[in-house]
Amino acid sequence: MRSRLYPVFKYTVIALWACFVAGPFFWAMTTSFKNANAVQGGPTYIPWAQYEPTLTGWRNIFGGAGGIDVIDPFINSAIITIAASAISLALGSLAAYALSRYRFKLGFIKNSDIVFFFVSQRIMPPVVLVIPFFYLLQWGGLLDSIPGLVIVTVALLLPIAVWVMVDFFNGIPREIDEMAMLDGCPPFQTFVRAILPNSLPGLTVAAMFCAVFGWNDFFFAFRLTFTEVQTLPQAVVALNSSIPPWWTLSAAALFGVAPLVLLALWVERLLSKGNLSGAVR
Amino acid sequence: MNLSATDLSLTVDGVDHLKNVTATFPPGRLHTVIGRTMAGKTTLLRALAGLQKVDSGSLTLAGSDFLKTPVWRRDTAMVYQQFINYPHLNVFDNVAFPLKRAGLSRHEIQRRVRQSLASVGLADFEKRKPSQLSGGQQQRVAMARALARGTGILLLDEPLANLDYKLREQLRDEFKALFSDRGDTIVIYTTTEPAEAMMLGDVVLVMHEGRIIQTGTPQEVFERPATTTVASIINDPPMNIFGGRTEGGQVTVAGFQATHVSAHLTDLPDGAYQFGLRATDVSLASSGVEAEVTFVEISGSETFVHVVVGETPFVVQIEGIHDVALGDLVKLQLRPDRLFAFDEQGTLVRTPSYDLASVERR
Amino acid sequence: MAQLDIVDVGHAYAPGAEEEQWALKPLKLTFESGRTYALVGPSGCGKTTLLNILSGLVRPSRGQVLFDGVDVTALPTKARNIAQVFQFPVIYRSMTVYENLAFPLQCRRWDKARIDAKVQQVAEALDLHDRLRQPARGLTADDKQLISLGRGLVRDDVAAVLMDEPLTVIDPQLKHSLRRRIREITEQFRPTVIYVTHDQYEAMSFAQELLVMKDGRAVQQGTPEQLFEAPSSTYVGYFIGSPAMNFLTVDRGDGPFELGGRTLSAAWDIPHSTTDVQVGVRPEYVRVVTDPGLNTFPGRLRGVSDHGAQRVLDVEVAGQLVRAKTPREEGVPVGEEVLVHLPRAKVLPYAGGQLVLRS
Repeated sequence: MRSRLYPVFKYTVIALWACFVAGPFFWAMTTSFKNANAVQGGPTYIPWAQYEPTLTGWRNIFGGAGGIDVIDPFINSAIITIAASAISLALGSLAAYALSRYRFKLGFIKNSDIVFFFVSQRIMPPVVLVIPFFYLLQWGGLLDSIPGLVIVTVALLLPIAVWVMVDFFNGIPREIDEMAMLDGCPPFQTFVRAILPNSLPGLTVAAMFCAVFGWNDFFFAFRLTFTEVQTLPQAVVALNSSIPPWWTLSAAALFGVAPLVLLALWVERLLSKGNLSGAVR
Repeated sequence: MNLSATDLSLTVDGVDHLKNVTATFPPGRLHTVIGRTMAGKTTLLRALAGLQKVDSGSLTLAGSDFLKTPVWRRDTAMVYQQFINYPHLNVFDNVAFPLKRAGLSRHEIQRRVRQSLASVGLADFEKRKPSQLSGGQQQRVAMARALARGTGILLLDEPLANLDYKLREQLRDEFKALFSDRGDTIVIYTTTEPAEAMMLGDVVLVMHEGRIIQTGTPQEVFERPATTTVASIINDPPMNIFGGRTEGGQVTVAGFQATHVSAHLTDLPDGAYQFGLRATDVSLASSGVEAEVTFVEISGSETFVHVVVGETPFVVQIEGIHDVALGDLVKLQLRPDRLFAFDEQGTLVRTPSYDLASVERR
Repeated sequence: MAQLDIVDVGHAYAPGAEEEQWALKPLKLTFESGRTYALVGPSGCGKTTLLNILSGLVRPSRGQVLFDGVDVTALPTKARNIAQVFQFPVIYRSMTVYENLAFPLQCRRWDKARIDAKVQQVAEALDLHDRLRQPARGLTADDKQLISLGRGLVRDDVAAVLMDEPLTVIDPQLKHSLRRRIREITEQFRPTVIYVTHDQYEAMSFAQELLVMKDGRAVQQGTPEQLFEAPSSTYVGYFIGSPAMNFLTVDRGDGPFELGGRTLSAAWDIPHSTTDVQVGVRPEYVRVVTDPGLNTFPGRLRGVSDHGAQRVLDVEVAGQLVRAKTPREEGVPVGEEVLVHLPRAKVLPYAGGQLVLRS
């Protein structure tokens, strides 16, 4: 039988893991309130006791001297993420619905192959994808522009949306579609009136994924924009110089991660209220 | 406004789901389709609704091609075996859904929803979500939605199969009342239960392996089952079918000899036959053929005693509920005047005379 | 197999609730070793609470649970040595049928040969012996449910098998055959079985003894025949039997009971002071007759329902509905005016909904 030490062991492991996860946040948090002197003075963690907190880092990211202004990149990132996520969800759920409800066949290619084809785009290393994207955008005159990045981001997010939504739609009984059609809805209305309203949980999950991936993209923005458009991850990386200004970097990183944390908290609240569960079965 | 199916056929992976199904469904009648699981009942309803494509055959409504009409214009309502409702809508909106699609006025929608919900006894449940209702209530919502629209065709696919016994009994009675004044609606109702098919149906269609093997009034089908298959499907428990011979007006079946057979069998030519005897026409008695009890089950208010005579299984139905132990040795009495005779291919050749005369006998 | 005793056991989910509100009102019961019992009643009747108390999932607010005389009230489920079958089949998806059945024995460190012999024996009974090497996840729901049962049966020492609506997720058409299989298997292994269901049909054809429950109380315990012949309350009369028992309100002056002004002769007598008297009679015993006689009452035929081998006739007698279930050979009476016969020996007295006297 389990020894009495078991609970001690259990909670120790949980505590260690919690430190491992929360540690970097704590580190960034303290560092963002330091200045050059405090950083160079060896590892310190407790404000006032070990070092004198300052707002230098935070001032620097809002246009302070020697820093940057994160507001514009933030807005760019927000526009790109929201637009690309919305387009991906709209196109993705339509595609997913078709893949879930209709049988496609082209030679040996069937529904599951098409789904795999969507997902497989995420298997390819971004380096391989970026070259064709570059030429495509150049050809369309969309390099270094928000619409260009939105298009590229949609291409990245669509597979995720399709994948999540196919799985979700498969879980909704087909009889609901059939009933809606019998009740007088043509296929598109069936989708909009009977299926989408019951898909809130799936849409939320897909939106979460899209937002996270879209928001955090650095590589494509880095390669496909130059001077006109800068996204938040780019701005943060641009701070990096030969002597990294850790305090400013920390502040910028926390500022960049904040929207995702808020989003996660909001979704978590929805989940715990049960708003998302049990719409079907 | 007849709905007519001609030679509907559908084969999936070599299995016939529908095989040359030809049937006419006139309005104002309730048709029950009875058959075992996988007999093709559900496929037939889905084909009529347009939810299932068929390989061949034609379907017409009032003479015009119905196969070309898309599902959403077929003016058809369907109630499923699983309680299917719109999970995101409350009871009122569920029933109102098809009415809104039909473009009725708000006032009219409200009137019809209320009336329909009242008719299924759910007037006080308008604001509930389907998930907050019991199975029986969910099925009533589905029923109310199907009725509210007043469609020309109403399809019900084993609507009571997933409900427990008392509720089935109760809803069956309610359905009888609900369907009694449906005017010009074509109602088609599938079931696996003989009693349900008989008490609800104006016309009974017996389906087996994708075919319609007999059509008639409940009485015709029950009293003159065309084949041994029909005889076994339309009786619950299935009719006892066993081999036997006639010789000079005498009937011999497994371990049992009928010395004085009633008139209906005396003129049978000598030879081998299959005989059928309903479970109600076999009884446990103090003398008779020896049999061993293999299984006992209780259905509603009857006891079905499964026995074997040598190798031949019989089911005996006793009125009321009785405790009979498995493995007991019992004695059987078979009523020779109730024997159905089928030829070796299973086609009906003789029916007990009482059955035909029983109508309005008194 | 063990005898299970419930001594003065009651349970309230909310502490300090009035006894009237308890999910299970205090009761005393014995489940004999090797018999099959069904706890039956509508949802919220307390049957699941009782089952959970037996399994150890719920610790009763009051009373004792004894397994073969040993108090197990405080023991958790795993210490009670019971097998459970739930609504949803519980199987190890990654294992074969054989491994699923052998698993409980491996956990008990039986030797290989003994496990093999036992698994073969149980698989034979479950009719799964030719599929032992198949992965369990590929089986149909009813076969999976049989494995759930089989995992309980492989253990010789199991005290009781508890089943909680085991047919819930089974196709309606397969329910019948699975119920039959479970019953045959239990006949063979003779465990003490306690089976919870809300379906009287299931309960009647499965169990040797039924416990009808309502509002947290055991309303009646008995064999199916006892419940059918002498329901202890109008509720049981309604719940058991199809169609339900007829209940008719009768009048009584100073003399005998009367129905619509005619004498109703009964095989019992109850005090004149008894109020709110109804008589109950099963539709199976009601006959439509041609000649007047003892206990015949004039009525009007209101409806005929053809069930096949029987017909159900709805007759209005003295403003009340009487249902008669008659063999087909008796035919349908001609005309609306009929005579209904209520057999003297089959009429039972109820007062305030309770059977007041046995005939």
